[in-house]
Parts: sequence; C-alpha cells; structure tokens
Amino acid sequence: MDLEESRDLFWLATILYGIGLVSGLALVSKSSKLLSSTAPLLIIIAGFLAQTQALALRGQLVKGCPLGNGMERIQFILWSLVLGYLIIRVLFRLNLLGSFSAGLASFGGIATLILPSFDTPYWEQEGYDGIFSNHWVELHASMAIFSYGIFALLATVSVMYLIQRKALQNKRTGELASFLPAIQQLEIAGSRLLLVGSVFLTCSIVVGSLDWTRSPDSLSASKVGLTIALWLAYCSLWYLHFRQKLFGQKFAKVSIGLFIVAILSLGVVRSSSTPSAQDGDTTQTNDAN
Amino acid sequence: MPTEDPKLFLLGSSHKVASLVERELISLPADKIEPFYKGLRSIPGMKECLLLNTCNRTEIYGVGNGTSPIDEVRNYLSNFQKLEKGFMDRHFYQREGEEVVRHLFEVTSGIDSQMVGETEILGQVKKAYEDACNRKLSGKTLNRLFQKGFQTAKWTRTNTGISRGQVNLGNVLSDLARRIFGKVENCRLLIVGAGDVAESTMESFQSRGCQEITVTGRTFDWCPLSRRKPDELADKFGGFAMAYDGFQESLHLFDVILTSTSSGTRMITADQVKHSMKKRPAKPLFLIDASVPRNIDERVAKIDNVFLYNMDDVSAIANENLKLRMAEVDQCRETLANRALKLWAQMVDQPSKQPSLINQSANPQEPGCAKDSESKEADSSN
Repeated sequence: MDLEESRDLFWLATILYGIGLVSGLALVSKSSKLLSSTAPLLIIIAGFLAQTQALALRGQLVKGCPLGNGMERIQFILWSLVLGYLIIRVLFRLNLLGSFSAGLASFGGIATLILPSFDTPYWEQEGYDGIFSNHWVELHASMAIFSYGIFALLATVSVMYLIQRKALQNKRTGELASFLPAIQQLEIAGSRLLLVGSVFLTCSIVVGSLDWTRSPDSLSASKVGLTIALWLAYCSLWYLHFRQKLFGQKFAKVSIGLFIVAILSLGVVRSSSTPSAQDGDTTQTNDAN
Repeated sequence: MPTEDPKLFLLGSSHKVASLVERELISLPADKIEPFYKGLRSIPGMKECLLLNTCNRTEIYGVGNGTSPIDEVRNYLSNFQKLEKGFMDRHFYQREGEEVVRHLFEVTSGIDSQMVGETEILGQVKKAYEDACNRKLSGKTLNRLFQKGFQTAKWTRTNTGISRGQVNLGNVLSDLARRIFGKVENCRLLIVGAGDVAESTMESFQSRGCQEITVTGRTFDWCPLSRRKPDELADKFGGFAMAYDGFQESLHLFDVILTSTSSGTRMITADQVKHSMKKRPAKPLFLIDASVPRNIDERVAKIDNVFLYNMDDVSAIANENLKLRMAEVDQCRETLANRALKLWAQMVDQPSKQPSLINQSANPQEPGCAKDSESKEADSSN
C-alpha cells in the first residue's frame, strides 16, 4: 500500500470504516469483551483522516476539489457523511449512528473503488488545466456535494428510525433495535439534518446561479431542472415536517427515497461541460451536481 | 390406624394453556366472585376451597370430603361461565394430591408465571388465601398447603437465581418508553385504574425521573386489584389525580397511558385515539393495556405513531430478557418437586381430622387461617 497514492488511501479508509462498523456492532452485542468503548470511534476517525488525505492528494492532482468523476463525487459525499456524523456526535449522542455511517461509507467506498470505470483519469487528457473554470463554480459544486453527504446522513438516521419503529411494532427486544436511539430522538436528528442539508443546497444553488446568469450556455436545461426539482423536494419535505404534515414513518421513507433520487441524479445529469470538454466526465466541470 | 390421603385437587387455567382472548372468557370479574363462591361451597363433598383469580390464571384449589368433587367443580365452572365442554378440555388442567402441592409451589415461587421469577404472584396468592380465610373456606389442609407455599416461595427467591435480573413489569415498560421517547423523565404518564402493575409502573417511571404522573379511575371500591384511591396513589408518587369522567378527551396531553382496571369495558376507543393524535400528530403515543379483559381497542395499534402493548406483549419481552434466568428453572423445579413430595408425605401421614368447614361458618370456634408470619409449623422440608 502506497500512502502517497490516493486510491490506496481510499481503500484504507474503506477498510477502516468496515472495521468501525464491525467493532461498533460487536460492542453493542457484547460479543467482544476486550474492545474499548471508544475503539469504534477512533477507527472511524482514522478512516476519516485517511479519506481526507486521499481527497487532498487527488485535489492536488486534479487542481481543484476532486469532483470530476463518479468515484470522486461518491467519495466526497461519503467524506461529508462521516464529517456530518463527527459534528453531530459532538452536539448530541445517537447510539450506533457511527456504526451505521461507517457501514454506508464502507459499502459505498467498495462500490466506487471496485469498478475502475468509475474513476476515469480525466486529468491525464491533453490540455487539461484544472477541473473548474473558476472558484465560484468550485464552491458551488463542493457545497452541493457536501449537502448530499448530509442527506446521506439523514437517510442513515431514517433507516435507523424505521428499524426501531418496526421492532417496537413487532414487540421485539434483545436485538439491534434495543441499542438504537429512541424514535423521537431520531426524528429530531433527521429534522435538523434536513435543515442543514437544505441550507447548504440552497447556498450551493445561489452561488451556482450567479455564475449561470453570467454564462447561461454553460449548463443544460435538464441539469438545472433536476437540481431545482431536488432542491424544491427537500425544501418541501422540511416545510411539511415543520408544519407536522409529514412525519414519522413517511418522513423517514421520503428522506431515504429523495437521497436515492439525488444519488441517481448524479449519474443522469453529468456535469455540463465547457466547450473544451472531451467526454461526459470531463475537464473544466462547471458543476459536479 | 390406616391413613387416608387428603382429597386435594386443583382445577385451573393459566397463560400456559389459554391465550389472552380465552382468559378473558374464563376470568371472573370482581362482582361475580361472591356468587361463584356461594355456588362452589354448596357442591356436595366440598370440604375446603379457594379461588385464585388473577390476570393470568383462574384456579380453584379444593379439598374433598371422602372423595374428590373435581368433576362437579368442573361442571359448575362450565355452567357458571358458560364455557363449552370442548373449551374446558382444551384450556383447563387438573391436578390431584402431590401434583397440587408441586403446582402451588411453582406458582408461588414464580416459576409458573408468565414472567418467570416475578414476585407479584406471591402477593396475589396471599390475597386469595386471605379472602378464602375470611369466607371461612380454608381449613387445615389448605392452610398447611398455602403456608408451606409462602415459605417455599421465600426460600426459592433467597436460595436460587430465579429472581435474578429484571422482571419487573414497570421496568420493562419504562425501557420501552425510553425506546420511543428517549428520556423517560420528559414523559407524561397517565394511569387509568390501579393495582400492582400500575404501582410498579409509576414506581419505575418515578425512579427514572418522570415527574408528570397523573392517575384517574372510577370509584375503585369495586376493583379487586386496587388498594388505593386515585388521589392516594397520586400522592404516593407525587402525581396528580384527574377526574375520570371524560378523561378520554385529554389523551393528547399524555405520552404514556396505562390502563389497569377490571371494568371489562373498552375505555379507550380507536376513534378517541385518532382524535387525540390529530392534536399531537408528530409525537408518538405509547399505550399499555394491562387489563384483562382489555380496556383499549386493539385497532389503535394501526394508527400511525401509536404503539400499543398488552400484558402478553410485555410479558413476552420480559421473558426474552430473562432467557438466562431460565437456566435456573429446571434445577429450581427439581428442588420444588422434592419439597412438594416431602410435604405431601407429611400430609398423608398426618391427615386432617377437621370436619368440613363448608356450611359450618356459624361456628365461631372453628380454626381460622394462620397468618403467614404466625405459622409455627416446623418446616422440615427446609
């Protein structure tokens, strides 16, 4: 393993997140008496540092925030997910959220790293001169992808909510659900994550629109339409939850559904290219969203 | 002088042979106990009798005069509760002689309980015994049997691991509340009725910091489970007493609602819960129906954000938590069987010379029930 190579570091992070998941579950099931209670957190932090270093190395390579291909975008979302968890953990404790987040980060990492086509070396193309045309576009793209990371965390919390709810309805105990946070705590956490994610997505769209108004031809109508639709969907979800019109099980299911749509939209709406673009995952991306 | 076995018998039904729905049909409401005893004592050949009637079991312990009148008791119960013969065959068991002793030991020790090792049953058996004593229906054989049963229960809890761990209903319920609301201290608890389950729940919630406890109920005088009136119960736990009339209109003010009455009516309907959830749509509601027959319409479980548990559900969870404790049961059962065998041998060797108590209640000199603490009988089986 070469620690100067970003892909190796991405693999290291993925493995560490996997260990974080297993150790977290082993701890709650008390199958490992030798494990310290802080071990899963330390392993996740180690994975996060490895992933941060990997993104930094890749950023230096591509001369900007690494959001040029599918692997980079997913890795950035997973990094945002883990960062969101580490921040949330300081604000309020949610049992097993770390394990669930690490699990998603690990499986997501494997999915992106195992397929070489996900990581096309767009920076090796002739005449390549940086991923973004200007810093505003870079800020817009990174904020959008960060908001996706927060929505990934929201989807994780929603999955935990549904597991706990199902266990309570089926009157089961002694399983994973008895170690999960209360459904009311999970719903409150979900609501806050939705607000934070929506704010970041809004800021991203505002920043992106400033650039778009200067050069309207740089973006396709489908991309703008889908982005606005997703933004509206998340804002509507927040509003409906705030007004107590959509809550509980439905809120959790819609949160998961919207995240799936958001991830799929990354593939459907490829970055709109500048006139110098050679292919879909191209140079001088205007927007990674 | 030849000895004669006491004609000790038992006819009963419990959670082991009858589901909640079936137990609802078998269980005797408080207002039926008096006429039931009246008919029971008039059965020919009945020397002593005792009715144990709890949420989870209905058992008749008796001693026959010369022969065991168990078939007559069976027919009487069948007619009294309008239960068909096939139903009786499926959901009742009967024991005689030493088997009755063993069964009672297992009941008082909590081994036969739905939540293995729970202690509530001992209080319920004591109460049933006192009731039979007050009616002058418990004589030398049943006195001896039940006194030994109480001693054995105490011995079992002290010397075996059967009561180890958490089996308390209240603690199981507060743990469920924690899984729904997070912190029990923020929950608003409403108790409808009284009884051991209600008290246990209030105690558990209070010990976890819950400060908003409200109690409501009807007159409470008729309730066989209750010992206190709502205001007394509320005072004990630093809560509030609420008027019973129209309490259903205030359901939305509470997070956890427990009903524990023997009214036999649906006190909380699905429509009432739906109406209250409109006033608190995003907040979950935790309902516990600890009554048999049930007080809460089971359809409320289908309402979003409403979690309904009945006694069977709570007991199942408690038992699941106590799987490790179950390892003690076999060894405990064996010990109790030995103790039962010894007691039965003593009872056969020293049979009761006492004439039938039935129809002699006018005699003020007849031997009364020994108090649990006053029992002087040597416990040779210890």
